[in-house]
Amino acid sequence: MSVAVAERPAVVPLTAFRPVISFHGVNKVYPNGTTALREVDLAINQGDFCFLVGASGAGKSTLVRLLIREELASTGRIFVDGQEVTRMPRRKLPQLRRKFGIVFQDYKLLPRSTVAQNVAFALQVTRPGQRHLREKVEESLWIVGLEDKLDKFPDELSGGEQQRVAIARALVHRPRIFLADEPTGNLDPDTSWGIVQLLLQINHRGTTVLMATHNREVVDLVRRRVIAIEDGRIIRDEAQGSYLREGEATI
Amino acid sequence: MRRVIASLWFATHNAGQNFRRNLGVSLAGVFTMGLILFLVGGALLFTHSVDTVLEHQQVNASKIKIYLSDSASLAAITNFEGRLKRDARVTSVVFENKDAAAKEASADPNIANALKALQGDNPLPASLNLGVKRLTDLAAINEMAKKTPIVDKATSTDYNPDVIGKLRTLINIIEVVGGVIALILLIVSVVIIMNTIRTAVYARRTEIEIMKLVGATDWFVRWPFILEGVLGGLLAAVFSGAIVAGGYELFVSYTHSSLFGVPFDTPYTLTLLLILGGGGVVVGAFGSYLGVRRFLTV
Repeated sequence: MSVAVAERPAVVPLTAFRPVISFHGVNKVYPNGTTALREVDLAINQGDFCFLVGASGAGKSTLVRLLIREELASTGRIFVDGQEVTRMPRRKLPQLRRKFGIVFQDYKLLPRSTVAQNVAFALQVTRPGQRHLREKVEESLWIVGLEDKLDKFPDELSGGEQQRVAIARALVHRPRIFLADEPTGNLDPDTSWGIVQLLLQINHRGTTVLMATHNREVVDLVRRRVIAIEDGRIIRDEAQGSYLREGEATI
Repeated sequence: MRRVIASLWFATHNAGQNFRRNLGVSLAGVFTMGLILFLVGGALLFTHSVDTVLEHQQVNASKIKIYLSDSASLAAITNFEGRLKRDARVTSVVFENKDAAAKEASADPNIANALKALQGDNPLPASLNLGVKRLTDLAAINEMAKKTPIVDKATSTDYNPDVIGKLRTLINIIEVVGGVIALILLIVSVVIIMNTIRTAVYARRTEIEIMKLVGATDWFVRWPFILEGVLGGLLAAVFSGAIVAGGYELFVSYTHSSLFGVPFDTPYTLTLLLILGGGGVVVGAFGSYLGVRRFLTV
């Protein structure tokens, strides 16, 4: 008996099921003996939006650092976009890092460069001789709503605007994965909410977003995947989670 | 090609911009490097000048004058002269008769007056003037001359063995001391320059961190710093070279009238300036390479 063509399941490429980020039994012990991560297993698919939550020192930032190979895992394997990060030779790290757009709590902007120069810097570094540099910079700043601040310097901007510049810089080379390490840590609630909405927009365009945060209100409002870390272990991984487990309370 | 040009432009532009923006630290680096290059250049030129003077003295010192007895026959003199010419230790033999001796001595007005007073009587002996290959052979030749019957018994030879020994020792000491000073300066310079550049790099650690995080290669990060080091090294070499060359010219003109006149050695000076320029570039680049290395571990 033959199966009608119309009834055949659609052919989906195998790569679509492959997580863009995966951790397999990862441990990280720092040289001073502190264990930052214990037996971490984790998979994040292309297009996911994940919150990484936990108290200070729980291991969120270590996890981010291991992803971009700022730190090397003590044991276990980490894959990014099909490539094993843990065994990657040093000379291939630039290629790995170009897959990411990264923002930090302290923005890390160049104080003596204008907004446009800060954003252009990422492209000049990774793609020297890039054509239509100005257009790409303007487009990136338009996405974050700062198209009218091209020639301002960072100290002429508010904290929220500075973080937007950092986001524009992280976006300009069109990364596959967007990492945000406490991006709202220095911002008031309204501004924080604006930044998170921006990250949701970026995710909506197909970019995977992983955001490490303390910001309970934001996590509870957005209701996306939540990965909770405590004492270096993943204690909870929920598809539409909240900052705390149901019924859990804070002092 | 486009990427290479863009990278080069970025590195050069960045190097120039950083040099200007951190002018204080940059100039401190240039000053330190310039001072060390000046000391190295000055030490080399001074050693070279002393060496030149001493070598000149050494050439004069490797001569011996053998005075001949007035009673010596021409045949005996010719025979002795022939024997000396065949001697492997001797480079030249020139016979100076009594008249030539009187004429040479008359260059001194006192001697000229004394000779006049003698009314034609010439007490100066004839001599054989020898050039000797090695200073160490002078003493042996002196001994040999004294035993020769036709040599004047009262004043047999004229050379100064004391000065020669001292000159040799002085040359050795100066060479060793010059070498040690240059070595110490070299070590000190690398350490100072590395730390100066590390201070400059530290001021820009955020920039380096961002570069690394967005995926810049190590060499892309290094190039602007290395170019900045090269620029600083070149500036330092130009300033120190000008001072060293000017100082050397002053030194030459000052010693010109003194006993040990130093000649201005143009080829040596030009070589030295090239060495200073090359040294500035290499030390600047190497110091930057070391200075930036620590910040590339991200």
